[in-house]
Amino acid sequence: MATLGSLDLQVRPLFRAALTTLALCGLVALGSRGGRWIDPALLGYLMASIFAIFGVAYRYWEWVERPATWMYMRDSLRMLASRRALAVLPRLGLLALDQIFLQRFIEKRSLKRWGAHALIAWGCLLAFAVTFPLVFGWVRFTSEGLNQDRYQTWLFGLPGGTFPVHSFLGFLAFHVLDLAAVMVIAGCVLAFVRRRQDEGDTATQRFDLDIAPLLVLLAVSVTGILLTVSEKAFEGRNFQTIAYLHELSVIFMLLSLPFGKLFHIVQRPAQLGVTIYKAEGEREGRQPCKACGTPFIRANQRRDLEALFHRLGLDAARHSEGVHHLDLCPRCKRRLLAASQNRRLGGAFDPFAAVPLEVEPLLDGPSGSPQ
Amino acid sequence: MVSDEYGFFIDPQRCIGCKSCVGACGECGTHKGRPMIHLDELDRLESPQTTPTVCMHCEDPICAQVCPADAIKRSEDGVVHSSQKPRCIGCQNCELSCPFGVPIVFSGLEQMLKCDLCYDRTSEGLKPMCATVCPSQALLYAPKAQVELMRRAKPVREFLVGSLLVKTRTAVMLPDPETPLHLDAALLIEGGF
Ligand code: SF4
Ligand code: SF4
Repeated sequence: MATLGSLDLQVRPLFRAALTTLALCGLVALGSRGGRWIDPALLGYLMASIFAIFGVAYRYWEWVERPATWMYMRDSLRMLASRRALAVLPRLGLLALDQIFLQRFIEKRSLKRWGAHALIAWGCLLAFAVTFPLVFGWVRFTSEGLNQDRYQTWLFGLPGGTFPVHSFLGFLAFHVLDLAAVMVIAGCVLAFVRRRQDEGDTATQRFDLDIAPLLVLLAVSVTGILLTVSEKAFEGRNFQTIAYLHELSVIFMLLSLPFGKLFHIVQRPAQLGVTIYKAEGEREGRQPCKACGTPFIRANQRRDLEALFHRLGLDAARHSEGVHHLDLCPRCKRRLLAASQNRRLGGAFDPFAAVPLEVEPLLDGPSGSPQ
Repeated sequence: MVSDEYGFFIDPQRCIGCKSCVGACGECGTHKGRPMIHLDELDRLESPQTTPTVCMHCEDPICAQVCPADAIKRSEDGVVHSSQKPRCIGCQNCELSCPFGVPIVFSGLEQMLKCDLCYDRTSEGLKPMCATVCPSQALLYAPKAQVELMRRAKPVREFLVGSLLVKTRTAVMLPDPETPLHLDAALLIEGGF
């Protein structure tokens, strides 16, 4: 595929990302009544959001175009366009609740991981749900006419409900972001503690993949909370500086969205498609391994993987007698390696055929210490 | 970084089926209690032979090519890592496509785990867990130069899967290293091992 100079940008995803961004800009213009409702104080956030959406859209389209990803995407789209969609949609709703909202698969990986992840995820989703509509000018609050005690909400420039300033709803409207920040801070602290306690994670974690995203989220949340603290407890002392730092950290987070760990937020819904795909495959049945006869591969996945192998130039993975490598179950593939070694050794299974152990000293690691 | 001077050498015919490797692998902190190494019987009725399977760390891993989530990465030192947790969606493409039957997808966790050459150990200059305990050296982690001297069989890192050439970092020991090891299902179907 054509590339754009040294940046190695792909043309089609670039085009689609541009369209996605244009569509968003259209919605911003529409929702904010030609920009009239955009809060000038939030302009920096708006610019960063538009850049971030372009970046995320580019990476998303590039990702979807990978042959392996497209295999599932195409199948999910076909399913949604077919009559089966009606039967599948309720299941999709339940799956979204289980996998995206409750994230129970993470709980099965580890309860502590789930606790930290849930706090961070819900905090972030809550904050995104509040801030993006505000920044895009889709939602706005004003006083209700001349009445200073009631607030009027505006959605897409149209009047929504009103509520008293001094009410629970009023309190919530002004402090929902504080709540989100507390959740994210608690989640990040838990995540750091868990990472310190987990020897596996301590050994394999990477700063850029695992630590930096937590630090960025912490920076955004702490500066956000400090804004409220400054306003409520210190009569707005240093408010401007904190606001500046908060804006900087948010913009940094937004611009890093397409490149970092947080990109998985837009990838994860693919899991719903895959779960439905597996269930549909079970309905079709599993095909047996051509070596041992055990049913193992779902019929739809067998078909699609063969097509995928073809697209990836792996067609040669066919054995004699018309057996595709995909027709062997994983256990038989493992047995095949040993059986092939045996054949090359002349069919002899002779554990004593190798050089005796005494001339093969057990080796120590490079450090010289026996492990 | 894992040192390029060291290699992993598999010699299935030396395996005595003691399962030490399985026990040791399960001890690892990165996949607590779940061994990633496979120990299979070749053909229970015909022979007592067992065979251990670890990741072969392919040069152009098919598991990564077929992964829709782009969750499998190969680091510069040639080690192919387990799926990245935030990305893997548990589709099993890797499990069904790996030429050597290595990855394991745990249903419910929606996550693939596999042998990652004990990266936490090997990147620090230690041996992988399984090679540390294998009494017959069917699993051997050693300086490449040394292995050439101490075994009659020689390491082979090229495999013909049907007629698809797959090159790997991990080696299998063979008497005639010039030709790739041909994997043909006919061998199992005929029961001809
Ligand atoms: S042996 Fe299988 S799991 Fe390991 S790198 Fe190759 S394809 Fe991937
Ligand atoms: S199970 Fe996970 S790692 Fe394996 S192919 Fe699917 S998404 Fe990729």
